[in-house]
Amino acid sequence: MDSDTILRGRGVSKQFRGLRALSDIEFDIPRGSICGLIGPNGAGKSTLFNLITGYYPLTSGTIEFNGARIDGLATTRISRIGIGRAFQIAKPFPDMTVYENVRVGALFGREGQRDVKEVVEQAMNLMGLSHLAQRKASSLTVGSLRKLEVARAVATRPELLLADEPCAGLNGTETAEMIECLRRVRDQGTTVWLVEHDMRAVMSISERVFVIDAGTKIAEGAPDVIVNDPRVIAAYLGAEPVA
Amino acid sequence: MVALQTLIDGLILGGVFSLAAVGFSLIFGVLGIVNLTHGIFVVAGAYIALLLWSGLGLDPLVGIPVIMVVLFATGYVYQRTIIQWATERATVVASLLVTFGVALVMRNILQLIFSSDIRSISPSYSFVSFSLGDLRIDAVRVAGLTTSLVLLTVLTLFLSRTSFGRMIRATAQQPLAAGLSGINVPHVYGLTFALGAAFAGASGAVIGIVAPFSPATEAIWTLNAFVVVVLGGVGSPAGALLGGLLLGVINTMTAQYIGPSFTNATMFLVLVLMLLVRPQGLMGNAFGESR
Amino acid sequence: MRPLSLKPLLALVVGVAAVAVFTGLPAILPPFYIRVLQVFFFSAGLALSWGLLGGFAGYWSFGHTAFIGIGGFTAALVSSHLLGGGGTGWGMVVTVGAGGLVAALFALVLAYPLLRLRGIYFAIAMLGVGEVFSELSSSIDWIGGGLGLTLPAGTDLDIAPEVFYYYVFLVLMVAILLISAATKLSRFGYGLMSIREDEDTARMLGVPTERYKIQAFVLSAFLVGTLGAVYAYSLGYFSTPSLFRVDFSLNMIVHNMIGGIGTIAGPVIGAAIMVFLTNVVLGSFLSVHLLLTGALVVLIVLLAPTGLLGLAARLWQRDPPEEEPTSPTRERERRLTNEPAE
Ligand SMILES: Nc1ncnc2c1ncn2[C@@H]1O[C@H](COP(=O)(O)OP(=O)(O)OP(=O)(O)O)[C@@H](O)[C@H]1O
Ligand SMILES: [Mg+2]
Repeated sequence: MDSDTILRGRGVSKQFRGLRALSDIEFDIPRGSICGLIGPNGAGKSTLFNLITGYYPLTSGTIEFNGARIDGLATTRISRIGIGRAFQIAKPFPDMTVYENVRVGALFGREGQRDVKEVVEQAMNLMGLSHLAQRKASSLTVGSLRKLEVARAVATRPELLLADEPCAGLNGTETAEMIECLRRVRDQGTTVWLVEHDMRAVMSISERVFVIDAGTKIAEGAPDVIVNDPRVIAAYLGAEPVA
Repeated sequence: MVALQTLIDGLILGGVFSLAAVGFSLIFGVLGIVNLTHGIFVVAGAYIALLLWSGLGLDPLVGIPVIMVVLFATGYVYQRTIIQWATERATVVASLLVTFGVALVMRNILQLIFSSDIRSISPSYSFVSFSLGDLRIDAVRVAGLTTSLVLLTVLTLFLSRTSFGRMIRATAQQPLAAGLSGINVPHVYGLTFALGAAFAGASGAVIGIVAPFSPATEAIWTLNAFVVVVLGGVGSPAGALLGGLLLGVINTMTAQYIGPSFTNATMFLVLVLMLLVRPQGLMGNAFGESR
Repeated sequence: MRPLSLKPLLALVVGVAAVAVFTGLPAILPPFYIRVLQVFFFSAGLALSWGLLGGFAGYWSFGHTAFIGIGGFTAALVSSHLLGGGGTGWGMVVTVGAGGLVAALFALVLAYPLLRLRGIYFAIAMLGVGEVFSELSSSIDWIGGGLGLTLPAGTDLDIAPEVFYYYVFLVLMVAILLISAATKLSRFGYGLMSIREDEDTARMLGVPTERYKIQAFVLSAFLVGTLGAVYAYSLGYFSTPSLFRVDFSLNMIVHNMIGGIGTIAGPVIGAAIMVFLTNVVLGSFLSVHLLLTGALVVLIVLLAPTGLLGLAARLWQRDPPEEEPTSPTRERERRLTNEPAE
């Protein structure tokens, strides 16, 4: 396996009772890149992230991280070897402050030496949350919640960050800000795989984009190729008004 | 022969368990609340039956409509006040605690009114029994079982055929969508709770003639209901019937073959095993999707 | 800045002063009040131990009295079968230790299956566990809970029994208090709290949720078992209903709720208030005991769901939110109605 691929999937499939949620998905995520994952609602994007992070077992297929199989590992283990995730539905720990939320990520997360305090402060700084450190998570706005969700994942010091719609519910400026933050995360050396509905946002930041529709991968490539792919236009853009 | 007699006794007992649990199951399925006051409804039904019988000479089974009306009204008010306040303010587990607190209060009040003595109701047919070969079947038990089956059927038809029944099921599946499509969700919750309480009360009348009761037995009826629901699945009368029959048979079989003092232990062992193997119950969840 | 710099110091000063006062009290108090305080130490110890699992990790056990029973019965069985009816002085250390260990062992066996259950299912399953152990202890002949068991006096020193158990429970409570505080401040404690807040998210942050839950459960059971064994000693003669008491299980929860779930001082404050109320103030209203306890539980849940400490914290600091507050639910609704439209 070439060492430039951080995450590789082969024949990844998932069956929920009668529903084929994913079939035969293949992907290679280049180390140090930002990649996009798009597809209409219900296409299976979050399900794919759930498989990678061990929330559901795969029906068939394999997933390798840094050349080693990770399918079948427990979620805790997957976090400890260096995969972080920001959930689509932000799930802050409501009774904890922003600081404490991020601290959980820093105390646990990827194995190895670290200065917990420093990690927390860096993560909060990076996401522009420092001024809110002592607020209860339950008192945050949507924008701050999204940032907290990413900050906490960043604090686990992942090699790969899976960001599931971190811009959902944000306005134009907030979206731009979030995209900027993700770029900084990447610049620190973390590979980012991003699910996003805002086409302009994904296309502006991604090196490579994967498109899935109804559980099947229908296209993969550079952003400018993807936007002109007729299958993508039909399946994905056709479902929603084109920007 | 003993095995068959035990089985039949278990099924008869199970029919009563089913009726006693169906309201609990409905409330759990639709409102998502584990109502630890449930046993109080059951025992209150038994005491109302006792009053009607000793005061007016009304047969407990004939008094069921009266009991159901009283408990329906009580259940509605209780849900729209205390239960609703609790679910608005606190966690689900805390609302469990509220119903527990109310149960303690009510048990104490029943003790003050009726004393802690063990009571039973003995209508004229109490001492009649039939023989089928070597089998012996008591008339009261047959009457109790028949009443239970009739009431469970009525509830099933009510839920599946009436528009109110459909409203309940819609609310159970999609509270948000039901609210958006014009259903008054809090009101439906109140009525569902009231319905659950009414059926619990009805079962109290049946229990009054087949088994002794006292204020303290309320806890057993709540726990029985929980076990029935875990065995049979949440929210449907058919599930309650299945769970109730199973529990009845487990009960009499344990008493016969292991020892009468092990019935609760066996029941809970089955409960815990069941929770582990199939948290959604044998029949699955009748309402909503599994989550 | 976090206003934390004063708090540990204050806690230390208050704690040391309280221990000093409690150490001296038996010299001047009448036996009745010594016994009330003994019940308080016992209850506070139980509530704190319950809180390790229920308060920190959010796994509410409705059947913790099982471990009181296991602890007590183990101590008595060890005393009669292994120590030939002994178990005084150092012997008591052995029997009580055995009580705690056996309770922990049972917890370890139960932990793996039971901790897969969540919320009310765990709560009710534990209720069932309490019931099963209770019934087994009275129905199985060689355990003998039906007829009852006896334990020797805990000490042969020349000291009144209530004073002796007063000190034993005081020491245990202080030890459990320190264990709780250390847990809360540790990485382990942080992990438990993240499990309480959202177990699925905690896993994704690398918290070893399965292991931590089991550890908290076993530790909690060990402490409750130890307390149960000492309690059995303080009774001298006991049978199944004296140890397997649903009201013990309930009180552990109620004391936590009154004081404040997930805190250190909360369970102690809750136990102090309830023990004082039920033993001293309401001591003469036995016929409405249940009613008053029940009503109190309802009032607490409705009026102060975060407990007295939570209430105090809310009254204390009322800085207005800098941002418009949103709850996760509202956030989800916003997503529902406001799908990105590109
Ligand atoms: N646990 C589950 N059980 C059954 N079906 C599921 C489960 N999780 C997801 N699905 C189904 O799998 C399909 C893919 O869902 P998924 O959440 O992965 O879509 P998505 O691409 O993330 O959509 P969105 O853009 O709305 O987030 C959907 O049809 C969904 O209903
Ligand atoms: Mg999704």
